[in-house]
Amino acid sequence: METATTPNRLSRNLIVLVTFGVLIFVAGAMLPAAFFTWLWDRMNVFATVFLGIFVEAVPYLILGTLASGLVEVFLDRDQMSKWVLGRPAAAAVSGAFMGMIFPVCECGVVPLTRRLFHKGLPLSAGISFLLAAPVLNPIVVFSTAAAFGWGEMLAWRFGLSFFIAVVTGLIFSVEKEAVNVLRPALSLHDHEHTHADVNDSFLEKIRKALMITVDEFFEMGRYLILGTVLAASLQTFIPQSALLAVGSGPILSVLIMLGLAVLLSICSTVDSFIALGFVGTFSFGSILSFLVFGPMVDIKSVMMYLQVFKRRSVFYIIAIPFMLSLLSGLLFNYLSP
Amino acid sequence: MPSRMIRSFQGLLLLGLSIFFASKAANGQLTWYINARFIPLTIFGIIMLAILAQTVFTEIKRSRQRALAGEHDHDHAPAPSSLWFMLVPLLVGVLIPARPLDSSAFATKGFNTNAPLVSADSSALLFEIDSEERNVLDWIKLFNYEEDVTQFIGQKASVIGFVYFNEDLSKNQFFVSRFVVSCCAADGFAIAMAAEWDDAATLQQDSWVLVKGTIEAITIDDRRVPMIVAESVQEVPVPSQPYLYP
Repeated sequence: METATTPNRLSRNLIVLVTFGVLIFVAGAMLPAAFFTWLWDRMNVFATVFLGIFVEAVPYLILGTLASGLVEVFLDRDQMSKWVLGRPAAAAVSGAFMGMIFPVCECGVVPLTRRLFHKGLPLSAGISFLLAAPVLNPIVVFSTAAAFGWGEMLAWRFGLSFFIAVVTGLIFSVEKEAVNVLRPALSLHDHEHTHADVNDSFLEKIRKALMITVDEFFEMGRYLILGTVLAASLQTFIPQSALLAVGSGPILSVLIMLGLAVLLSICSTVDSFIALGFVGTFSFGSILSFLVFGPMVDIKSVMMYLQVFKRRSVFYIIAIPFMLSLLSGLLFNYLSP
Repeated sequence: MPSRMIRSFQGLLLLGLSIFFASKAANGQLTWYINARFIPLTIFGIIMLAILAQTVFTEIKRSRQRALAGEHDHDHAPAPSSLWFMLVPLLVGVLIPARPLDSSAFATKGFNTNAPLVSADSSALLFEIDSEERNVLDWIKLFNYEEDVTQFIGQKASVIGFVYFNEDLSKNQFFVSRFVVSCCAADGFAIAMAAEWDDAATLQQDSWVLVKGTIEAITIDDRRVPMIVAESVQEVPVPSQPYLYP
């Protein structure tokens, strides 16, 4: 199907491209020079921010897809079913703690989760792993402690992330058929070169794992790039002060911090340092909701979720953590202002 | 596109990314994008991308050998549409000349003369730094936390930053600014301390300068912020680490 539509799409894209080119040329002749300096400056900011996120995220994406490749080749389904506990609650809880074994952040967790699903991981465990792993892992524990000390913020961040991940996992466990939640994935078919064989030598297995890494790097990479383009454009054209100026009331401040978490798309390994910058301007509850929600949902991770889950599932993966983070932020703001 | 051609394209993209990152590492421009403590991670990325490219090229060779031997080729190359995306970072990197964040980012990112940067380390440590060794961030932090800022007045200071003119200041004054980056340029936010110099008008917006002088306290937006009364202002090249790290 792909090959049948490609030439058609290519010519259509060409027409769009040429039309745009002509429009830009005509508009350019009519605009003052100051506009171009402005545009050039914006382009430079865009390029620096875009490459900043991309350079930072690529190693993490490689780590995640490499883990996925290694899981595919070295872990059989039988082994997986022995590990995973039968009851949804136990599965969700163990899923939330799996981040301690697989220290991945939000760029790497998506391909790894999909691979684990393919290996027979129950939905509840996979969803809670997906949401909790970017926070409940050793790297993030230390970076949060470095920013806020071993205190309340750290305890609440991890407690709440764990709670939200488990609750969301349990809600998904109602759905018994994984096919209703997941999108069929092309790269998960048993390729000849990806099909692990017991007789394969160790090196041959590594080679297969690396080929899976390559294919997934490109598959997930395009959503990372799409998300990064969006995040960098927003940062280039929408002033942060506009967002911060909107409000500082107990409800609005939480909403603003949740919005900022999505918009900034910062890696969970360092978001505590960013949150630090808001201490003083924002309440404890708002900052906590930023630290809990940010690693679960941001522009680039949503893009990658859409590749793995059906649209309806993505909606729930966003909506449930959103409601719970909002609620806990509000509770903190009202109970301990 | 035939499968082997797609694979070649894939291998070239991986190699291209690896070379692109490696060239940024070699010319020292990685610090224009990320906090220096993440450079080892990028090096790991460069090596992995090269290994992955090599794996793809080996796969192409094998596929060709299989084809020559008359075997059916089982390699399911990915759809080419997913590959084009990887060209975006390469094109952005090659077509738009690299430049660290400067005052043109203030329009959306804003800038602060009193960043509320609470950090686990107290300002006590900052007192131990010799006054001429303190950078813009150190001064801003000190003025932010210390109740009594008069104790700093008259101290010698020497800071590097880029020039920013703004209507908050008078004609003979300018801001010495730096971006503070925790992770990558996306989280960068600008801080600035004022400077006073008779020849301020000769300076260019965004040019990097080394300002030496003594500390004075002025009031902007009802906050006491540091200002350097400059004895000398010297143009300097962009420092190897243009951003400060909190």
